[in-house]
Amino acid sequence: MTSTGPPPPRDRRPRPAALRSLPRALHPGAWWLWALGLATAASRTTNPLVLVLVVAVAAQVVAARRSQAPWARSFTVFLKLGLVVVAIRVTAQVVFGASAPGNVIVTLPEVPLPAWFAGVSLGGPITQEALAAAVVDGLRLATVLACIGAANALANPKRLLAGLPAALYEVGVAVVVALSFAPSLATSVGRIRAARRLRGRPDRGLRSIVGVAMPVLEDALERSLALAAAMDSRGYGRRAAVPLATRRLTAGLTLGGLGGICLGVYGLLDGTSSAALGLSALLGGVLAAAAGLRLGGQRTVRSRYRPDPWRGPEWLTAGTGALVAAATIVAGVLDPAGLAPTLVPLAAVPLPWLPSVGILVALLPAWLTPLPPDAAASAARGASAERGLARTPAAAGEVAV
Amino acid sequence: MSGAARTGTGPAVDRRTGAPLRLRPRSIVALVLVSLVGVAAFGWPLLVASSSVLAQATQTPLLFAVLLPLLLAVVLAELADGGMDAKTVAMLGVLAAVGAALRPLGTGIAGFEPVFFLLVLAGRAYGPGFGFALGSLTLFASALITAGVGPWLPFQMLGAGWVGAGAGLLPRLQGRAELGVLAAYGAVAGLAYGFALNLSFWPFVVGQASTIAYVPGDPVTANLGRFLAFTLTTSLAFDVPRAVLTATLVLVTGGPILRALRRAGRRAAFDTPVRFESTTRSQDPDRSPDLDRSPDHGDAWPAATGSEPPGDPRSGR
Repeated sequence: MTSTGPPPPRDRRPRPAALRSLPRALHPGAWWLWALGLATAASRTTNPLVLVLVVAVAAQVVAARRSQAPWARSFTVFLKLGLVVVAIRVTAQVVFGASAPGNVIVTLPEVPLPAWFAGVSLGGPITQEALAAAVVDGLRLATVLACIGAANALANPKRLLAGLPAALYEVGVAVVVALSFAPSLATSVGRIRAARRLRGRPDRGLRSIVGVAMPVLEDALERSLALAAAMDSRGYGRRAAVPLATRRLTAGLTLGGLGGICLGVYGLLDGTSSAALGLSALLGGVLAAAAGLRLGGQRTVRSRYRPDPWRGPEWLTAGTGALVAAATIVAGVLDPAGLAPTLVPLAAVPLPWLPSVGILVALLPAWLTPLPPDAAASAARGASAERGLARTPAAAGEVAV
Repeated sequence: MSGAARTGTGPAVDRRTGAPLRLRPRSIVALVLVSLVGVAAFGWPLLVASSSVLAQATQTPLLFAVLLPLLLAVVLAELADGGMDAKTVAMLGVLAAVGAALRPLGTGIAGFEPVFFLLVLAGRAYGPGFGFALGSLTLFASALITAGVGPWLPFQMLGAGWVGAGAGLLPRLQGRAELGVLAAYGAVAGLAYGFALNLSFWPFVVGQASTIAYVPGDPVTANLGRFLAFTLTTSLAFDVPRAVLTATLVLVTGGPILRALRRAGRRAAFDTPVRFESTTRSQDPDRSPDLDRSPDHGDAWPAATGSEPPGDPRSGR
């Protein structure tokens, strides 16, 4: 569905909930919470049926609710990445598998390794069980990747930037500059290559790369100075007057928090002190650092232009994600065998009902959230074309934004 | 009021090096603390004591995946608070865009990762603070452009930040010696980055049943041997060409690029001390710094003629 052609006819069927709210992009945070809920569910099970169900649900929602923006195509990339992970997992198991009891499929010749490769073995017998465990474990990682890919495809990364804390305002502006400047680099490359052609110099091949790269870099640096001048002249960098006491408190909270996190992490890693002590230092550090980050935001003075709303569909989407995670966690307590079925000996894998129902609930956003604006526009275009309406070119142009 | 206002505009610059992002003592402490936690986040499979609660591999990656974004946010906010003026923001953004545009070039060819050589050179030209910020922001912008946001992103950001900061911390040298050191550093940093990222996903990318997997609670030496075997078999074929290519790129193109970056730095006049004077040469601390800056700086910027900013201590070099 990456093409911009007319969508399948089911898109024009009236959907009450989708029609009630106008087409708009859902808050990116809602999609991420939904996807993280699915990922949590996937990470807590080794049941291949449940894992496949999670991927199917994610794929259905992506197909129904993604926009036509370039990032919306990333879901397939993540699926392919997942296949690579499964391949790595299985290859590592075949080549470096430890010998374990089970049904031996084939025995590879064993290669002796030097003693400093502590315990690494190369080759040896491959059992059905070990192979199945490797495939299922790889599938679990691939499912988590698919959930992350769904979030990447559905959430607008640029709107995600708007959610950065105020203390990261300057950093966020730098990223926005990078995002909006990257496409114009291609224009710059094209212009400089055209200039080289006009001068009779090669514009292809290895030598031309250096000849093009330097002017592009000089051009970019030149433009950064012009941009900085423009930003300064528009009052960028104005800061609020933060009282000295607040600034000192910010510094104290930030550095104290980082110190607490550091102590907590190394205390936990060390293992000699009690885990409760390390965890409390870690937690206190996290809270102090977060508070410092929040206080540090006081130095920026800005108003927000068109904030992303958080309304019913957002609550629904994030809620279904939380529900999926909760259902899997509860099912893991009530019915551990359903989520982690035995693979030795290989038997028919059951489909546990509680996690399955929970995961199916995560399908709801595919119908109950508003369509993204560009998909809605193309749906309207496709619908009217199918009804055979006579359309003036001007009207068609209006819709096809 | 003026103290708070001034940090945002001109003078937040390291006078000694002319670096666009000054590392205040506060920022240095924050960077060191975050790097210490980062070392633990990358290296916990080799650092953890077998008696620790973190030795079990299931929840520990999750802990660090949650912790690292917060730490990166805190340290970047701390760097920004130390003085990201418009010139620094613009330079960061443009160089991050160049890096993000370079990054997809490398995906087709084994081990070709051209972004590192830009990080090394920019970190060298503009100092460790800028290098850290550029490294992490380049990877962040690149992930946003290619829709590759995921739990690996904080690790990549921190690793690339270290690469950039390390280049700024190298001893000062001139000419060929500088290029040689930078090329060697680029090779080592590329290898170390690959190792660190391998380490960050090693505990869960290979199954417990294979003999190159992380075994919770095993002695460090045993896990280290298995990790080396894992690296050797999975990614060394990518890491070594990347290191060689980074070193070659630095050697071949480092000279002109460093000159271009340094010239842009001089023209941006990061290290021009901003004086708040009225035209009658009487000190008047109550005037707004923004009003006073325009005559001082406005002439230095339309620098297409190549004029150096007035009062720049490095311009006569």
